[in-house]
Amino acid sequence: MPSKKHYIITSITLGCIAMASAILIGATNLLTAPRIKVNEDNRFNVGITSVFGDGAEATIYEESLKDFKIQGFKSDFNIELESSYEVKNEENNIHGWAIRTTGRNDYGKVSLIVGFDYEPRSFKGIYVISNEQTYASTLVEEYIDPLNGAEDKETKMEDVSCGATYGAKLTRDMIKAAKEYVDGIDYK
Amino acid sequence: MAKEKGYTKKNFLKGIIIENPLLVSILGTCPALATTKTVEAAIGMSILFTIVLVCSSILVSLLRKVISEEIRTPAYIVIIATFVTIVKMMTNAFLPELYSTLGVFISLIVVNCIVLGRAEAYASKNGVFDSFIDALGMGVGYALALILMAFFREIIGAGSLSIGKVFTFIPQYTLQILPKGYAIKLFQDPPGAFIVFAIILAVIAFIKNRKAELKSNRERQARIKQEQEARAAAIKQQEGGNK
Repeated sequence: MPSKKHYIITSITLGCIAMASAILIGATNLLTAPRIKVNEDNRFNVGITSVFGDGAEATIYEESLKDFKIQGFKSDFNIELESSYEVKNEENNIHGWAIRTTGRNDYGKVSLIVGFDYEPRSFKGIYVISNEQTYASTLVEEYIDPLNGAEDKETKMEDVSCGATYGAKLTRDMIKAAKEYVDGIDYK
Repeated sequence: MAKEKGYTKKNFLKGIIIENPLLVSILGTCPALATTKTVEAAIGMSILFTIVLVCSSILVSLLRKVISEEIRTPAYIVIIATFVTIVKMMTNAFLPELYSTLGVFISLIVVNCIVLGRAEAYASKNGVFDSFIDALGMGVGYALALILMAFFREIIGAGSLSIGKVFTFIPQYTLQILPKGYAIKLFQDPPGAFIVFAIILAVIAFIKNRKAELKSNRERQARIKQEQEARAAAIKQQEGGNK
């Protein structure tokens, strides 16, 4: 029968390993978090040109959309609109709207830029900033890419049957939430 | 106990050929099937996997006398998970395209049997240097197997080989191998991965069986020759005795 001392030493050993792991991970996070933020911002700028074309530039319209509540439909997922942007073209004319949004379901997190035309505020396309879904590549290849390439995007958006249907439903709801916000903008 | 000569070289090479973790032990097949759509993704996965395997083997070996029997498995899992988390954060920061290509399969390195298996089977019983060499050999063996699978899948499935899409610091280049329209997209999907894996295993089994057959033929012929010589010697002796 192992002694009390043995159990104490075993617990301390495991505790020390766990603490050392936590310190290592914390230190790595400190080192990499700023770089990850820069990468996300770069991806954001690439995303704006991808959705709106070369020369498009986004300027902040509303920095925090934390208080926005979805009212037009009920979503089973956790969706947050983060910020909204006016997108201007090379001639400095307003081109459209971009909403930065994040959604989560049981398969993981997705962050998107959702683009809309200026007037009428029709859905223009999406760009993936980060995709932590389990079926990440399937979601992109079977839902997002065909959606961006479709003529009638509003109809195509509702066709969520693909190898990553749950992720597609999340993406669809994120687009609908962004649309609801954009339709409510009273811009003169 | 003194090690035999050439032990380090044998220790390293066994992970590549004799005990290749994917092609001989059939371990770690999930990421092998999922991340071998392109050669670049396979190379990326191999590098991350090897880093985790080597670091965790070294640390497990360093702590082998401190970690008691009761907490062996949870301790190893914590160590492996730590390195996987570090590698994941570093990849997200410095190789974001690789991070988004590999996705959840970076995190799944934690539950890759090869990493925990080598920790239990080797690193927990051997010194740091030997554990390092063993892990490196296993990592290189796994990498070669992944790249072999990805090579065939990308050529047959996409008709081309491309670089620079995942490792964006390399200029993008695509080498068209098959004429456009001749690629079989099935090989980029999971069924194609299974087919390529099965064919590679079948070829390896054929080569192994052939080698074993040739070896047994050689041994049989050597035995027959020996018996004939012994018989001839016995007859000669008998004739000499009769005279």
